[in-house]
Amino acid sequence: MHMSDAMLSPEVAIAADIAAGALLVIAGSKLKKSNRDNLVPLMGVTGAFIFAAQMVNFAIPGTGSSGHIVGGVLLAALLGPWAGFLTLASVIIIQCLIFADGGLMAIGCNLLNMGAMTALVAYPLIFKPLLDFDSQRHPSSLRIFAVSILACVLGLELGAVMVSLETLASGVTAIPAGKFFLLMTSIHLAIGVGEGLATGAVIVFINKVRPDLLVPDNQARRKGGIRGVVISFAVAAVIVAGGLSFLASSDPDGLEWSIEKVTGSSELPEVAGALADGSSAIQSATSIMPDYENTFSGIVGAAMVLILVWAVSSLLMKTKQTK
Amino acid sequence: MGCVVTANEDKANEMSKLEQAIIALQNMQTAVRAETDRTLSPVCGLMVTVVYLIAMLSVRVDNIGMLLWFAIYPIVAAPLFGMSFGSVFVKSLYTLPFIAFIGIFNPLFDTEPALTVGAITVTRGWISFASILLRGLMSVQAIIILVLAFGFEGVCRGMRKLHVPAFLVTQLLMVYRYMSVLLIELLNMRRARESRSYGNSRMGLKMWGQMTGQLFLRTVNRSERINRAMLARGFTGAMPFYRLEATGWRMADTMFAVVWISVFLVLRLVNVSAALGFDRLF
Repeated sequence: MHMSDAMLSPEVAIAADIAAGALLVIAGSKLKKSNRDNLVPLMGVTGAFIFAAQMVNFAIPGTGSSGHIVGGVLLAALLGPWAGFLTLASVIIIQCLIFADGGLMAIGCNLLNMGAMTALVAYPLIFKPLLDFDSQRHPSSLRIFAVSILACVLGLELGAVMVSLETLASGVTAIPAGKFFLLMTSIHLAIGVGEGLATGAVIVFINKVRPDLLVPDNQARRKGGIRGVVISFAVAAVIVAGGLSFLASSDPDGLEWSIEKVTGSSELPEVAGALADGSSAIQSATSIMPDYENTFSGIVGAAMVLILVWAVSSLLMKTKQTK
Repeated sequence: MGCVVTANEDKANEMSKLEQAIIALQNMQTAVRAETDRTLSPVCGLMVTVVYLIAMLSVRVDNIGMLLWFAIYPIVAAPLFGMSFGSVFVKSLYTLPFIAFIGIFNPLFDTEPALTVGAITVTRGWISFASILLRGLMSVQAIIILVLAFGFEGVCRGMRKLHVPAFLVTQLLMVYRYMSVLLIELLNMRRARESRSYGNSRMGLKMWGQMTGQLFLRTVNRSERINRAMLARGFTGAMPFYRLEATGWRMADTMFAVVWISVFLVLRLVNVSAALGFDRLF
């Protein structure tokens, strides 16, 4: 799910960097007010923990494949949403700098897609209201798994929607908007279920041995009627995502077909076309510098110069080393 | 996950992802110690890298002729910092599969002809596919050069100088410091489990959950010990960035930044191939 610099235009990347930076500043100010005194080392070592946990794959039940965890909802459950977001942010930045996963300009997009959507949206909307670790009666394992899957599917699907929007607004891919959207959401539905199972497995274990660790902050919980709204919202989101993916996998043109059935005309391709036109219009309006057309001989000439520069610079380096 | 630094590659093939990550991390730390160039400030390195990425990524995706010229930065900057461009290039190849996965759809959807080379017609989709690969490789190469030249800690110091909040830089340094510790802890746990399971290295979900949960409990215990040790040494909430003065801005930094940023502007604003007469080669 890591976005690369290659897929982004600078305008989209910088906008996302600013948005993610603002969220990080809010996270920092929230944590300064926190009453947990050991938060700095705990977040530091937990970031390293998530990094290590991602290195060990688990077998996905019922399939021959295996996967690894992303950790957004798990971190929010263990540390609270803002500390979880900040910890995941540090892991994403380190993955970019040391392991070349994602890109430097794409850090903002990756923080929003993987960090904010899981720790700041899916956790407070689904996970926290539906799992009450505060009370004496501990939730059952089945309930933990169900809520984890629901929260992770929502978080990762929202992330997939963000990836689609950012890529399409950048205008790098030639895939039509509708198809790209379906491709991303269907892939991430499967990833979300795997992530939910993994998150559930860890939380079930911690709930058995150290349930006190699952009450990340001592703030008063919100009670009342929000629960029904949240549950119906989550169920609707999962059904919509599942339905879309089913259409995408069974028949590539399923969505257009179904829209044609319902409305009598195939609207989606036009909507998709309009989105792409809009994004390229925004791009040409905000683009800092103009482009020039290229020719084949121009490309060959550039490649020859670069090879020559490489040869000269490596020769210079060799002579420098032998001195 | 593509590891930037993978010496001992023949050995690493037989190893798990976990062991590879430990080796990559250790190799990087030694490589940085050997190669770090102390004559330039990491602030300068960060600035030049960001301007490079913005200028390079702003080239329209079908304009491969202009994009190609931007390869001059990794090709020249790598030897300037004492690395060979070849090794940087090989390291950057690890990121290719993901970029190729999204990019490969372009030739399928965009079949408009763009160039003709003799009898062969190249479509716009193939040009933009090649351009996406180039963008991906060059942006990763710029990051590899930045981190190998200044070290992860150097980049963090540069970020702090550029007023990135102290809590974030502290968090990055903490994660970096404990990454190899926890990787080795997990490796020990996994080896213990493997030695009890008669060669069955595949791990089910339940076992994975127990092991990861156990690792988290050890993480919490460790963080409590670290917290006490840090408090005993006068920790007040943010890392003291003692060596910030050592990374001050010098004349060499101004030269490096001015030269490279001018080069990027020229490459971006002038049709270099046409200016050099390459358009009339054939």
